[in-house]
Amino acid sequence: MLLFRSEETVERWCEVHQVPRRPLVNLEQLWRLAVIWYENRLTAESRRPTPQDMVGIFASVGLEGSFWDPAADQWAGAR
Amino acid sequence: MWYHLMVMTPDLDTTVKLHIYRTIAETTKVPSAAEVARDLGVPGPEVEAAFGRLYGKRLLVLEPEDPTRIRMAPPFSGIETAFPVDVRGRRYYANCVWDALGVAAALHEDAVIPASDGFSGEPVILEVREGRPVPQECVIHFAVPAARWWQDIIYT
Repeated sequence: MLLFRSEETVERWCEVHQVPRRPLVNLEQLWRLAVIWYENRLTAESRRPTPQDMVGIFASVGLEGSFWDPAADQWAGAR
Repeated sequence: MWYHLMVMTPDLDTTVKLHIYRTIAETTKVPSAAEVARDLGVPGPEVEAAFGRLYGKRLLVLEPEDPTRIRMAPPFSGIETAFPVDVRGRRYYANCVWDALGVAAALHEDAVIPASDGFSGEPVILEVREGRPVPQECVIHFAVPAARWWQDIIYT
């Protein structure tokens, strides 16, 4: 994923790289994901979320649909 | 002899993982398998095997040409990247903007992330202060669906 100043530069990046426009995430959503993923990473108990966990985590910050599902199979041939 | 006890337990992977992360937190440097082996007093092949298992659990990403070296111990990067994270006068490197925020979350520290726009290169400085991101005009574009993140995690 890449950081952009605005949606305008996202559009221009997608155009130049001929990449489809995909979901945008805001700073607050990304911070919440960072905390969930990493706040315990320096402890013995830490573990990476399972694919099932991930679907619920993404939904909890408002990111839903197959794009956010690690088990979705519809993206196998997608660019 | 104590290392024999350690390698006989199923907990070597946790010991290695914690040592990696504590080394990074204290020094900003990502240790090699040889350095971890030396520090823990464990034979190199045992540590290399632990690296392989941690990679299998997607907790580490190893250098494709040298599996004794760590490319990513998420959120930290083993190489300099476009996502430096400044914490208490130390500079860490993250793998992406998500991981840059993750460095602040993992260390439980305030941080400044001097990043830039992915298209224009214009500076976009992010800051975490008192456990929250300081509001900043920006968006994050996910080009790769979650189902494909690990097909090429370095690109993702």
